[in-house]
Order: sequence, then structure tokens, then C-alpha cells
Amino acid sequence: MHLMRVVIDVPVRINVGPIHPSTHGVLRLVVDVEGDKIENMEAHIGFLHRGVEKLLENRMYMQACPHMEKLDYFAPMSYDELYVAAVEQAYGIELKEKAMYVRTILLELQRIASHLASIGFLCNDIGQLFTAFMWSFKDRDMVLKLLEAATGTRMFYVNMRIGGLVRDLPPGFEDSAIELLDYLSKRIPAYEKYLEKNPVFMERNKGIGVISRDEAKNLGITGPVLRGSGVSYDIRKNKPYYVYEKLNFRIQVRNEGDNFARYKVRMLELRESIRIVREALKKMPPEGSAVGMPIRLIGPPVKNKITITERELPRGECMIYLVADPQRPYRAYIRSANFINLSAIEEMCKGQRFADIFSIIGGLDMVMADVDK
Amino acid sequence: MEEIDYNSDKFINAKAEMDKLVEESLKTRAVRPNVLFGKLSELTKATSSKVIEWSRQNSLWPMQFGLACCAIELMDFGSPRIDAERKGYLLFRGTPRQCDVMIVAGWVTKSVIPEIKRLYEQMAKPRYVIAYGECATCGGPWWESYNIIRGIDQVLPVDVFVAGCPPRPENLFGALMKLQKKLGGEIED
Repeated sequence: MHLMRVVIDVPVRINVGPIHPSTHGVLRLVVDVEGDKIENMEAHIGFLHRGVEKLLENRMYMQACPHMEKLDYFAPMSYDELYVAAVEQAYGIELKEKAMYVRTILLELQRIASHLASIGFLCNDIGQLFTAFMWSFKDRDMVLKLLEAATGTRMFYVNMRIGGLVRDLPPGFEDSAIELLDYLSKRIPAYEKYLEKNPVFMERNKGIGVISRDEAKNLGITGPVLRGSGVSYDIRKNKPYYVYEKLNFRIQVRNEGDNFARYKVRMLELRESIRIVREALKKMPPEGSAVGMPIRLIGPPVKNKITITERELPRGECMIYLVADPQRPYRAYIRSANFINLSAIEEMCKGQRFADIFSIIGGLDMVMADVDK
Repeated sequence: MEEIDYNSDKFINAKAEMDKLVEESLKTRAVRPNVLFGKLSELTKATSSKVIEWSRQNSLWPMQFGLACCAIELMDFGSPRIDAERKGYLLFRGTPRQCDVMIVAGWVTKSVIPEIKRLYEQMAKPRYVIAYGECATCGGPWWESYNIIRGIDQVLPVDVFVAGCPPRPENLFGALMKLQKKLGGEIED
């Protein structure tokens, strides 16, 4: 049989986006392809820019929490906690032990929800694997239900206060948390069995979007993407905060540096998070309150004018550089992990095929609202 | 070459003359009324509006289009907990040409307005817009920002507003039911 072939020897420029290039937000990619191979790529960002850093300067400290949460809407509580921790550092406020444990538990539950969503989106971006998307969203919903019981809302919790939290954990939280963790630890092998025996998933992730150890370090990538490239770096271990020192967990590292390694790191981190929550629930002091200060910070003067606070968020290392005035920040610079991870996309996509862009975006697991700020 | 005077009577009264010619030709070659066809057309006219209305109500295809946080709840809308499929809302399409409903989920920045407008214009009529969440209704928490428009209703005609930051997926279910009622004429604008 004779197959007709059309040979285009001129590089073709294809525009991807800006509305919904995949399930990650408003991102425009201009791609030069030769045949199916990506020769060059340029990312255009800024479609969701709304000037968070400027808005923070006009808000009192606790008024800014909802704005911080909307930066990374898969892990809103983590960003909320980052900001509140920065303010606590500026005012020199120490946390009670109970509050530290409760925060750790809630943050790790948030990490579980975020990683589940990211795995679902990776499968959705590849296409064909809608089952995994449905599964992961069902499981994520169960985690959100638990968080809703603890905080009162489903998605944007605004549950942090200076010196603690808005409310204590509700009665019966521990039992339902352990029940959920038992369920999840049974589910994770099911995901792995389904995905890693799936030829489509393996074909589209193994050896795709490779970034080497040195390149990843040079670009300043953090989070599961960095750990997938063989660098053992996690703020929870390297500069521990709260009670992470007392808890027993490992940094999960894979050496391949491809998309599959990133997925695998997330899967392993889910297990670690389940371990952390279990242990923290056991070690948490039964008495005492985790409730923080009332909403307005009027009394204490600012102790440290300039502070830097770092946290390990589900998508990487985030940092706030806070120049504190009384009542409101003079300047709050946010280092968002997603923005810096996005800078690797050109490096990752070069030499790959066109359809791999979307699995690479899924593996990077960006949140464009965090990129554009 | 002879010049044509376009202001002459011949040209000005061309339409009237044409009408006259058509009238005369109709007199000589009159079409006999087809009884069966006439009755059928009346019948279909009477029933089709109801049928079209019913089918429009029950096949609302939303566009797969998300901007920010609310889009996550939009995806949750399709997840097993809500199961929007049971009402027939869950045919999210990738192209605007196959869609009836645009759900604007997220804040609308100045740089994204032209893209949204283009998508809206690519949708086939009749088309509906749901403003989902605070940001799309009034600017939400970003109302002070320099790069945000305070509500998508400044750009597109909106049918249903959904409040909440973000609204629960159940609220979107409610909004689509409301849109169905609006199409059925139960709710007026």
C-alpha cells in the first residue's frame, strides 16, 4: 500500500493556549516544530496577574490571608500558613506545642489533597486516563471533607491565626482521620497498579521531559520536580519547622529526572505524608488549646523588621520576604515555587514531540495563579 | 461609451417595477395550496417550538474553560461525588463551536478579556453565560486590583450569577437547573 507523505521542511510555529492549554490555567506557549519535534519554545505568562504583592501592602495582616490562599488553590492552607508564619516571625510570637501539631497535621492533609489532584491532572492531561482522574478526585474529596470538618469550609479555609488557629480540632477528628488514612493507604497501591501497568501512561511519561541534576539545581527548581532529578532537598528536613524534627519520615528521591520520576516522587510522598499524620496524631498532646490570637494585632510592636520565612509547599519551596510595618506589611515579596519551576519548561520540551508538552505540564504540576501572582 | 444615468426613473423605480412583474407572474402561475403540506407545517410549527425548547433545556453542553480557583470546583462538579451526568450537564467540550453554556470561573484580567470575547463569539447561538464565583460576578477579593475588571457582566451578557468564593459544586448544579428553568420560561430575566 502506498502512503502519501507530506513533507514540510519549514519550521512551523504553533500557538498553544492561552485559554486552557491543559488543566493548569491560563498559559500561552509559542512552539516551533519541525515535523513533530519541538525545536524551540517560548512561554508567555501574566494572564492571571492581579498584583497580590501590591494588594498585601494595603491590607492588615490578617486581612491578607484570603488573598494568600488564592495563590495556590490546590494547597490554600499551606500558603496561608506561610504568610501567618512570616507575621509570627516578624512579631516574635512563639507557638504552643498543640498548635504546632495541629498545623502539621492539617498541612500534611493538605499536601495529600494536593498531590492527589496533581496525579489526577497528569492523567487527564495525557488523555485516555479519565478513570484515574475520577478516582483521585473522589479521594481528594474525602480529604477535603475531613478538612471541612476541621475548618468549616471546603476549599479556602482561612484557618490560621497569629499564634495558632481559628479553632481546635473538632471532637472525633482523630478517629475519622485514621479511618481516612487507612482507606488512602489501601488506595495508593491501587493507583500504582492501574497506572504503572498501563502502557499508555508508561509510554507517555518514561523518558519524557528529562532534566538533569545540575540543570535542575541551576534553574532553582524545588519540590517534587527537583527530587525527581536526584537532589535530596526538602525544607522539612533541611531547615525543619514546627514538629517535623520530632517526626520520622524520609525525603523521597528518584534519579531519572523524567516525568515518571516526578509522578513517582509524588506517590511516595503521599505515603510519607500519611505516615507523618499518623505519627503526629499519636504524639499530639491531648490537652491544651490550639486557638491563636484574636483577629486584630494591636498590642505587640514589630520585633524583626525584615524576615525571611521558608516553607515546603506541595509544589516546592516558597518563601516570603517580609518588611514589616505595624499592622500591615511595608513590602511582601513572594517566591513562588511554580514560577521558578515553570522556567524549566523550555529546557524540558526541547527535542520532545509536540504531544509531550501536555504530559510535561502535568508532570511539572503548575498553578498559573501562583506563577502570575 | 454611453454613460448610464443612475438617477433616471428607470433605476429609481426598479424595485417597484420588479414587484409589479412578480405580481403578474404569480397571477398567471398560481401555486395551488397543498392541503396535507399546509396542515403538516402548521402542526410542526405548533409542536416544534416545544420540542426545541425541551431539547435545549436538556442538552446544555458547557465549555471546558477555566480561569482560576473556581475551575477546580468546576472539575469537582464532574467528579463522582456530585455526578452531574445524571442531569445531562457533563458533556464538557473542548471547542466553543459545540457548546451552549460558558461558565466563567475565575477572575477576569484585562489581558484575558479579548480571548474570552473571542470564545464567546465562536459559540453557536443561542448561547448562555454563567458567572461562577465572586470574581466573575463583581471582582471578588481583587476588586481593588489594577488589572481586574469587576465582573464579567461588563463584557458579556450573563444569565445566571453564582455567589461564593468558591461556590460549592452543588451551587453550579443549582445554577444549571435555574438556567433550564429560564429556558423553559419559568423564570424571567
